[in-house]
Amino acid sequence: MLLARRDLIVAKGRFLLMGTVVALIAMLGVLLAGLAVGLVDDGTSGLMRLPVTHLAFQPGSEATFSRSFMPADAVDKLRGDGVEEAAPLGVALFNAKLEQGGSKPKVVDVALFGVERESFISPTPVAGTGLAGSGPAPVVISQQLADEGVKVGDQLVVGLDSTALNVVGISDVGTYGHVPVAYTDLSTWEQVTPGATTPSGRGLVSSVALKLSPDASVKVGDRAGVDVLTKKESFAGSPGYAAETATMSLIRGFLLVISALVVAAFFTVWTVQRRDQIGLLKAMGASDRYVVGDAMLQVLILLVVATVVGTLLGLVLGSIFPAEAPFTLTVSSVVGAGVALVVAGLLGSLVAVRRITSVDPLVALGSSR
Amino acid sequence: MAPVVAALPNAGAVAEIAPVDNLSGTSAVRPAALEMASVVLRHRDGADEVVALDGIDLTVGSGELVVIIGPSGSGKSSLLAVAGALLRPTSGTVRIAGTELGSLRRRQLSALRRDRIGFIFQTGGLFPSLTALEQLLLVAEVAGQKAAPHRDRAEQLLRDVGLGSRLDHRPDQLSGGERQRVAVARALMGRPALLLADEPTASLDRSRSAEMVELLAEQTHRHGAATVLVTHDPDGLSHADRVLTLVDGRLTEA
Repeated sequence: MLLARRDLIVAKGRFLLMGTVVALIAMLGVLLAGLAVGLVDDGTSGLMRLPVTHLAFQPGSEATFSRSFMPADAVDKLRGDGVEEAAPLGVALFNAKLEQGGSKPKVVDVALFGVERESFISPTPVAGTGLAGSGPAPVVISQQLADEGVKVGDQLVVGLDSTALNVVGISDVGTYGHVPVAYTDLSTWEQVTPGATTPSGRGLVSSVALKLSPDASVKVGDRAGVDVLTKKESFAGSPGYAAETATMSLIRGFLLVISALVVAAFFTVWTVQRRDQIGLLKAMGASDRYVVGDAMLQVLILLVVATVVGTLLGLVLGSIFPAEAPFTLTVSSVVGAGVALVVAGLLGSLVAVRRITSVDPLVALGSSR
Repeated sequence: MAPVVAALPNAGAVAEIAPVDNLSGTSAVRPAALEMASVVLRHRDGADEVVALDGIDLTVGSGELVVIIGPSGSGKSSLLAVAGALLRPTSGTVRIAGTELGSLRRRQLSALRRDRIGFIFQTGGLFPSLTALEQLLLVAEVAGQKAAPHRDRAEQLLRDVGLGSRLDHRPDQLSGGERQRVAVARALMGRPALLLADEPTASLDRSRSAEMVELLAEQTHRHGAATVLVTHDPDGLSHADRVLTLVDGRLTEA
């Protein structure tokens, strides 16, 4: 494809301009991919990092912890064939006050997870101790809370009764609903969470954490009259998750459509300008396949080079994003954004293919027919 | 229609040419690269029907240079378009190297142009981004072959037309005459049976025009292609094997 390659070099000004546009779109694609993954991560990493395969919810709660309450004994009903592990889980969001000795207390947001101290979902500390063996009202905080200045030995005051939780450890437990997660024992969680106990004093939990065997069915939920969802399905109940993912998907979708249209417009104009050359090639006996292949190679080279450059720029820009921004880059999201852009561009360029195949070789003779 | 009779003004070429067949207007022993019989081409121009070619009978043998001279609008380009498998005639038959075009599909016509025909266009018809050498290598690529093995032949053809020192020059770095020489070399690259030249001297001065026709005659005889050159310029006709006149779509002896 001599002509395709030489045109790229000789008409470099034109292709550089177009390549810059594609590169900027690719850069934007990387940033949006980072934000999309970052937002999902910020909203659900607390669930992602749970060593579970499924979560059980109150029927009709749509995986929303704040709407789901079930008796703690649901755990016992769920145990049986296909269930390797089961443990009660309480989830509630709080504003916690960090007592800082004399000065005005600092307020931090906390997603408080209540678990049995010895259960399989009890957090493993990276600093301090875990819940097991700790004193009363222990809390293991996430690294994000530690980054906000909370230390082992501090007290977080939560709930209407201003219950003081003793920070005993730090663990990599992530965030939930864009709020740092902290784990406490189940009895403390029931004590501080409004509605977590019945008037008769019976304890309620939000969910049951399950580790099902690979061949188990979600029908195990029938045993306790609850809905059993996969861990990923349960993300849908995370505050803002559906709206955020839908918004980001819409923006990324529009970006791809815009990319396709931009490439389509450019190559349509380029094809019109090359009409005489295309006619000449056809007069020389070039097949439609050759002429279209020549043009598509040009598109592919332009798209791939510009996408790689734009992606690298996006990675550089992403690396200097402020730490507070929910921005997470993964290989799959970056590669996916680049591949999607190239595919969208190729699809856009197909608009020009019709024009290429319809060029009459007679134009080589200067015919006006 | 009156038969076309060859003028054969080129004495050098005449010696080896057998007597002319009056009906076809060519040598009886030369294999015919182009045969057009009773070719009519009509097309619409608004509400009017225009007869661009009106019963063309023309046969051109291998190694023969036929110059067709005619004023603007006489049908020269239409004749080349039909002879070059670019346009289907309204009626009549066209054969190129023994292949009758009437039954060929679009894709087959493309292949025939690629394998049997070389075109030389008015202003060269060169690709602006390719060097002189690459213009020729493109012919191999269009034929689905790798360019590298054809490099020596391409260089030789360019040397034959006096451009051995201009291999790496792009069209904008060549003069009008040099561009036409590249076009001649490119047209010969695919070893065509038929060479069609559309006013190749139109953009050249008188001396360059004569040189171009001389070059075409030389290359025609050297490579054995049948060459049809259409022009409105009477200069340089002395190099032609036959000169025909096209007026109002009819061919007559010059």
